Amino acid sequence: MMADTYHAFRNMLDEQGIIFSYCGYMSEKLVVGLGEAIKQKMELDAADTNTTKRVFSIFIEQVQNIIRYSADRATGAEENRGQLSNGVITIGRDQQGRFFVAGANMVQATEVPKLRQRLDHINSLDHDSLKAYYKERLRNAPDADSKGASIGLIEIARRAAGPIQYDVKPVSNDMAFFCLKAFV
Amino acid sequence: MNIHDISRAPTDRSPEIQFDPDACSLSISGASFPEDGAAFYGPVLSTLDEILKALDQRCVTVRIALNYFNSSSAKALMNLFLMLDDAAQAGNQVIVNWFHAADDDTMKEFGEEFAEDVRFVRFNVIPTAVTS
Repeated sequence: MMADTYHAFRNMLDEQGIIFSYCGYMSEKLVVGLGEAIKQKMELDAADTNTTKRVFSIFIEQVQNIIRYSADRATGAEENRGQLSNGVITIGRDQQGRFFVAGANMVQATEVPKLRQRLDHINSLDHDSLKAYYKERLRNAPDADSKGASIGLIEIARRAAGPIQYDVKPVSNDMAFFCLKAFV
Repeated sequence: MNIHDISRAPTDRSPEIQFDPDACSLSISGASFPEDGAAFYGPVLSTLDEILKALDQRCVTVRIALNYFNSSSAKALMNLFLMLDDAAQAGNQVIVNWFHAADDDTMKEFGEEFAEDVRFVRFNVIPTAVTS
């Protein structure tokens, strides 16, 4: 019974092409270890260096975004050992063999319009405009970790092939489940 | 303030920073995705800014040899280069040597882009032998 449950869970991930997944509370301490395992596995699979680096880069930006912005977080964690935020991060390959990094987390419903606007804007830009926008944000964002600075999302768009895919599902009056997927 | 405070030992996720005040040389190497980009780079950059502002007709050499950095580190690097550009405009000779693995397109592109952002710094983008 127990094996059935976990086997079904595993199969569901397989069907999506997911080769790596983490669901639950994430901390900055976790980022290094997970990132290392992903790089190691991709190197063993003889993935091209640039592909590995792009996947790694998108992974880092997504996980750090979840840690910083997930609306589902352990309270009281920040004072002692850093932020602890709930989310999902996955890496997979589609049937054409393209790698993708997909993540999800809860957001405040009030944040959704801003997020959509930001992502739609990023997706509307071509290669050169995206580069110009990135530079403008680097020059003008108030500080390295400013909330609302969309540098992390622009970084993801620049490492991705094609637009960033996203989807939002309202789960209550004030919360929504936000998903983001980028192909490399 | 002790100027040696700028140097940092490398970690899994933060670069080694070496600063030699006599030679006016700075080196940043390794990987950079610190837990808190502002907390890591903030003190380094503000100290460096004071040092640069006190220089007069000096030669400053900066070596950047990063294999990966995240977006908050990119923000810090941009601030560093703008600061160096001010020092160069003020009459110092500033050279940045940006090293990247020959097969690393992203790090090469970053170097070329930062080179476009400075007007007075001599910014060299230099491929190195592939190590990994």
